[in-house]
Amino acid sequence: MKPQKQNGNMGPGDTVDETLRVIANLPAPEGLADRVQVRLRKAPRSTRILFWPPAFAPGIMGYGHALRGAAAAAIVCVVVGGGWRIYSHVQPGPSARVILMPAPASPPRGFSTAGSMHTPDPRPVILHQIAPQPSQPGPKQANPEEKSRSTKPTTGRRKLAAPSSHKAGVNP
Amino acid sequence: MSASLHLPWMEITPTAVHDKARQHANEEALAALVEQYAPTLYRVAFSVLRNAADAEDAVQEAFLRVLRHRDSLEEIRDHRVWLIRIVWNIVLDRKRRAKTRPETDDVSELARVLPASGLSAEESAAAAQHHTRVLGLVDTLPAKEREVLVLSAFEELSSVEIASVLGITESSVRSRLFRARNLMAELLERPRSLR
Repeated sequence: MKPQKQNGNMGPGDTVDETLRVIANLPAPEGLADRVQVRLRKAPRSTRILFWPPAFAPGIMGYGHALRGAAAAAIVCVVVGGGWRIYSHVQPGPSARVILMPAPASPPRGFSTAGSMHTPDPRPVILHQIAPQPSQPGPKQANPEEKSRSTKPTTGRRKLAAPSSHKAGVNP
Repeated sequence: MSASLHLPWMEITPTAVHDKARQHANEEALAALVEQYAPTLYRVAFSVLRNAADAEDAVQEAFLRVLRHRDSLEEIRDHRVWLIRIVWNIVLDRKRRAKTRPETDDVSELARVLPASGLSAEESAAAAQHHTRVLGLVDTLPAKEREVLVLSAFEELSSVEIASVLGITESSVRSRLFRARNLMAELLERPRSLR
């Protein structure tokens, strides 16, 4: 852009311009245009995703546009028909049953017993008050006959009567 | 002798002829653009990338982009500025991506590509060293000023065309160029030790 000074005393701006001009005027390598042409020829001709065969290309024999329209209409028919078929076959299902769940009981206030261990009470539980009994005489001498009788198998009648006699606190 | 069968669908419609002719015209126009502007685009690319292979690759990429828009070539008013703008954007993008690489300050590489008409080997080496130093300083300029300065070195580009390539106004080009030259003068006058 600036005329170059002919004498040797160049200012800093001229030095910069000269350098940049040298770089800007470098000759292009030989055969650059040919190489670019070759690469352009190798490049794909069309950037379309759907490439139509030449027979269906528009303009060839005048039927290209009609064929494309027919193909598009066929695709639309297939899609719509398929959708309608699915829609007509799907039955509306029964309404979902609603199961009413009882509301959870409100937790007791205060300290909860959750996590506590149940330990049985070792003391005996007295259900009925035992009446005091008069002092009994010492044990009698066991009769050998009675002894032998007790070892004998008892009859069914006795069996039935026995439990009632053993009940605690029951005096018939 | 042989009766030719003629059916209506066999006719080649005028639309088909027109499309074929237009496609052929577009291809011819593209080939003409390559022949005419490939060297200019290469020089623009080299001024930024400073590497012959990268510059040629950028030119090829630029024309591949043009190939995608070959149908709208007729709508372009100034093909030269349009092409320079395309290659300019490509090289700036490449330069940005290659930021991790060290700056190209290889003196021998520059000496190889510089024209050595009537210069001895020593003079050629000294000139290459000088140019490398200046180009290194140009790289330190802010991007806006640097871009205008680099493009201003192309004699075939007016300030209006530079503005069009960069997408700015002509007055901005002038002010940026003024600032760039002042900055470069300061940098060149400053001793190396202070830099």
